[in-house]
Amino acid sequence: MNLAINLIQALLLIAIAPLVSGVIARMKARIQNRHGASLWRPYADLLKLFRKQDLIPNTASVLFRFAPTILFAATAAAAAFVPMLHPAALFGVSGDIILLVYLLAIGRFFLMLGAMDGGSSFGGLGASREALVSALAEAPLLLALISVAILSHTVSLSGIVLTTVQQGPLHLSAVYAFALGALVLIAIAETGRIPVDNPSTHLELTMIHEAMVLEYSGPSLALIEWASAIKLTLIMAMLAGIFAPWGMATSASIAALLLAPLALIFKLTVLAVSIAVIESSIAKLRIYLIPDFLGMASALAILAVAFTALMR
Amino acid sequence: MMQIAFNSFLAALLMIPAITLLCRRDSRVRALPSWLLLLTLLAGTIVAGFSFWRGGRLALDLSWVTPFPFALTVDRLSAFFLLLICVVGAPVVLFSTAYVERHYSPTKADWLWVLLPLFLLSMVLVVIASTAFAFLFGWELMTLFSAALILIDGDSERRRHNIFIYLMMMHASAAAVIASFFLFLPNASTLDFTSMRAAVAAMPMGLRSAIFLMSFVGFGTKAGIVPFHLWLPKAHPIAPSPVSALMSAVMLKTAIYGFVRFTFDFLGGGPAWWGYLVLLAGAVTGLLGILYALTEHDMKRLLAYSSVENIGIIYLGLGAALVLMANNSPAWATAALVAALLHALNHSLFKSLLFLGAGAISEATHTVDIEFMGGLLKRMKITGIVFLIGCCSIIGLPLLNGFVSEWVILRAFIAGSELTSLSCAILLPLMAGVLALIGGIAVAVFAKLYGVAFLGRPRSLQAEEATEVATAMQVAMALLAASCVIIGILPGIVLNPLTALASDLMHTAALPEAALSIAHTLPWVAVCIAVLIIVIAGFRRITRITATWACGLPALNGRMQYSSAAFSKPLRTVFSRVYEADRTVDVHYAQQPYFAKSITYRSVRTTSFEKSLYRPAVDMIVSLATRLRKLQTGNMQVYLLYIFLALVALLLWMRFA
Repeated sequence: MNLAINLIQALLLIAIAPLVSGVIARMKARIQNRHGASLWRPYADLLKLFRKQDLIPNTASVLFRFAPTILFAATAAAAAFVPMLHPAALFGVSGDIILLVYLLAIGRFFLMLGAMDGGSSFGGLGASREALVSALAEAPLLLALISVAILSHTVSLSGIVLTTVQQGPLHLSAVYAFALGALVLIAIAETGRIPVDNPSTHLELTMIHEAMVLEYSGPSLALIEWASAIKLTLIMAMLAGIFAPWGMATSASIAALLLAPLALIFKLTVLAVSIAVIESSIAKLRIYLIPDFLGMASALAILAVAFTALMR
Repeated sequence: MMQIAFNSFLAALLMIPAITLLCRRDSRVRALPSWLLLLTLLAGTIVAGFSFWRGGRLALDLSWVTPFPFALTVDRLSAFFLLLICVVGAPVVLFSTAYVERHYSPTKADWLWVLLPLFLLSMVLVVIASTAFAFLFGWELMTLFSAALILIDGDSERRRHNIFIYLMMMHASAAAVIASFFLFLPNASTLDFTSMRAAVAAMPMGLRSAIFLMSFVGFGTKAGIVPFHLWLPKAHPIAPSPVSALMSAVMLKTAIYGFVRFTFDFLGGGPAWWGYLVLLAGAVTGLLGILYALTEHDMKRLLAYSSVENIGIIYLGLGAALVLMANNSPAWATAALVAALLHALNHSLFKSLLFLGAGAISEATHTVDIEFMGGLLKRMKITGIVFLIGCCSIIGLPLLNGFVSEWVILRAFIAGSELTSLSCAILLPLMAGVLALIGGIAVAVFAKLYGVAFLGRPRSLQAEEATEVATAMQVAMALLAASCVIIGILPGIVLNPLTALASDLMHTAALPEAALSIAHTLPWVAVCIAVLIIVIAGFRRITRITATWACGLPALNGRMQYSSAAFSKPLRTVFSRVYEADRTVDVHYAQQPYFAKSITYRSVRTTSFEKSLYRPAVDMIVSLATRLRKLQTGNMQVYLLYIFLALVALLLWMRFA
């Protein structure tokens, strides 16, 4: 039973990821007074791309072709770490936050290499900026996760979620406030949203992620887009799981199992709306202000860790 | 049986130089010494493996031939480092069989095959010595043989200057190591390891701390911790590539061995401030090492700085072990020591792989400057793939060995939060952030290295014409890459004996279950990712090869790609305080003020250590020597006077003392 739910929720995360992107795009359109595309358009896009030819630059090596595959596989494996419907996951017991963070690094590293294999200036440009963001984002991400891990005396993500779910919302430690602040900033940076990166820009001056995937087309591009959507949904589900896990099925009763998906949809929608609001109301940061942005995240994460010891 | 194998292993290492000299005339047997050396190292692997996995003890006492007590013992700690030397040494020798004859004249090749086994023997001596004399004998020879091996690649003025710095700093380090041995003398009757271990119990705390500090400085200089790392990026890159691999992968580890032997085995740990000092050294070394690596575009210098960084990570593990031990958490302290030792092994494997890769590339392209490479993966498939595995291991990606050791260190840091001491409970988890920052920058460094050197378009004619290297070289690198993958997916095979070794050293019973749980997870994650990759790769895709879109220009060329300097620019700007670049721009105008005739741009990264730490020390020594020169008048009568005065002084001292 548990194994079935774990498998279902991992597959669910992979399956609904494009929908989440669709919801964000639609919300943004509405806020900007446009009608916007259908919620299901990301699926149509993926289907279209999977049917197209894969164009390979003549200078590119075998790595260019395999980078999207590795990116997708590592990101999908990371999805098996995240509790969504109940406080457990496929790699819930043994898998931990460190492995999760480093699995995401696999995809990032190969995407950077794939970008540099294209042989144009844009790939290097995107990879160089991605290197800047990811180098400075890794420490606060890990520290913020460690601070909540310390509170729950376990490094497994399911264990952390279980600890929170057993506490009432009013009994949470103040550490959670710092960790939430840090993780929200990191989530924005890691998933390439405004104000760190703009997912819908193709301007040389500002693009990061888009510059890296510029040479990709067809199925490779589809894999990359899907993997980015999975990463976004994964981080949103992780935030929801750590800071607001209530509504998850803590017992195997039918009622709890029916409530859990509804609660999940509600939480993801709230997060999607807030991303849409942030993206519509803030301008993108200049690239050399990103270190300050991530510095703020690091400061919050350091405070979170320090307070775990100070407040015990 | 094993004892005989062990004795013959040592004898063979000693004999091979003689065999080389005998065989050099006859072209039919010229290859004999190299293959003998390879066999010897394989035998050494078996002997060391036996001691490491089974815990068997081997000993050899040669005191009857030497004027000082000269005994060798292989316990588990020695066996681990002996294994490390042999496991890395064998592929390096295999690589050299093909590399040396292409690069060097027969005379130089002979020198290399004479010196290489002696260099290996000296390192073996260091890790299996069980008396101070044997240890110091090996320690000194190690420096001298490596310096001689560097000289094989040429002896220009600049190289001799670098070797001079290397020798100077190594002797300063040796002085500190000798001092840390001699500080045992008031309490120990002889300087063999057993009586040194026994002497510690009666030692006052001050003396123990003095020994710790001396060994910290002495071994730290050899290991290359900041600010004693100055020699490392000067000496390692200028050696022949296989020797660079041995120096970075193995020689630095002998210093780790010495430090572990002194701090954990002899002294048995100490107060918490020892741990804080080691942690601080590790954090500074790791961060500065990787930040300096970021600026390099000379592949071997970049790898040398990355060795500095990895030594920092090892010291972070050792520091965590000392702090945890001082705070009554012996089980997690053992885990941290296991992590540090495992990282030493892992670094040996991937760093020798990368240095051999640099050798292979320099053979194919005749350069070590990555700005003149590019597109090599298409031209050198096997080298490219194994080099990628090395890069992925060194930045600690899961399913490769670097991840396992970093994971255990991170777990030990997190476990620090359970300590009662407030400062530890805050500091240790924060160190996880430092390690993550080091890891994050390392990703940037190795994405730059691999992306610029192996991917995209060729950046020079040589790179365009590069071809794959000899099979023996490919096999050597592939062996090292395979060991990285095996330890990465099934870490239990080394984690379990290492746990036994660390528990013996720390006198603890068992490790916390959580400390090694990663060994159970990794195989499943590997299966999961492998299945996903096979499924995705199984889908049929229609591909078409086209030119990269050039924004309407006729074609792109190699110079339009991001260069190494451009790639690292954003991060260098963020950390500009670390680099303190000296920039000068000279613009010469012809007549009009608008049209420059020539523009010269110079940017030198001064390491602030050289300026503010070493320069004053060197100046002081030189000025002291200048003053002392007044004694040397060159006049015979004055020297006779000195002798007479010395005699009188000695007689007076004998009379009254």
